[in-house]
Amino acid sequence: MTLLSSPLAIMELGCAALSAIILVVYLVFRPPLVHATKVWLLMGLGVLPIGAAFSGNIQGFEATKERAFCGSCHVMALHAQDSNDPTSGSLASRHARNAMFGSENCYSCHADYGMFGTIVTKAGGLRHVWLYLTEYRTKSVAYDKQNIHLLDADKMNGNCMQCHSTRDPLWQKVPDHKASLPDDRADRLGCASEGCHGLAHPFFRAPGEERTVQR
Amino acid sequence: MTPRRVRQWLVVACVCALGALALMTWQIIDPTVWPVMVAMSLGQVLGTASFAAFGYVVLADYRARHRADVASDPRPIERH
Repeated sequence: MTLLSSPLAIMELGCAALSAIILVVYLVFRPPLVHATKVWLLMGLGVLPIGAAFSGNIQGFEATKERAFCGSCHVMALHAQDSNDPTSGSLASRHARNAMFGSENCYSCHADYGMFGTIVTKAGGLRHVWLYLTEYRTKSVAYDKQNIHLLDADKMNGNCMQCHSTRDPLWQKVPDHKASLPDDRADRLGCASEGCHGLAHPFFRAPGEERTVQR
Repeated sequence: MTPRRVRQWLVVACVCALGALALMTWQIIDPTVWPVMVAMSLGQVLGTASFAAFGYVVLADYRARHRADVASDPRPIERH
């Protein structure tokens, strides 16, 4: 999404610019605190910054769904590269090519479903930021590849089934789907596991695989 | 609060608000992890602090004016 295609971004920039003009004029001229000064400062310190914060925060939350955001920590660089690769056949990359949500494919697949799904997902994201700050920030990608492991695919079928409901007749026509349906719905067999659709990402340790690089 | 003190508070409020606006704009221009995290934490704190400082100055000014009005009012207080 380009900057000027978002009304929220334009609103944030407009409010911030107007507020900054008022504040700089006050700092330069330092007028006495009469009624008119108070009204101008109410605009510059209250109304316009609140408008900028409101639109900026919503725009910021929207930005956190983008793949570019997820890929901006170096430990995610390989995942982002793979998703961006039009020739890759990984599940992540195939979902990235979807015109409906391709630029938000990380969030679409990893976000939890339900009323509090967004909050739970954002809380999980803060945990990732904490781990990044305390453990992985100074580590190489080679280290990360060996020490970050994928979430157990068997526990993630609910995320796949947000879109692939398993109730579509076309889906059920596939013999393997038909045979594994009870296990799929009960999270006993992962959609993104070896033997089914394969791991969603081609890098990092598979679930259960031991670390090969010591800390 | 003296006029000099009022001015100092307002200058601090303006500088804090400019910092907050800069952080909030940074997250729009560069929507990656650190700009967004900093804008949504430090940016909010600075912005709220600047508005609170402004509110404090206005309230102090109002109270000072009110006290001055009461002190200069020659009418005696009516008691029933």
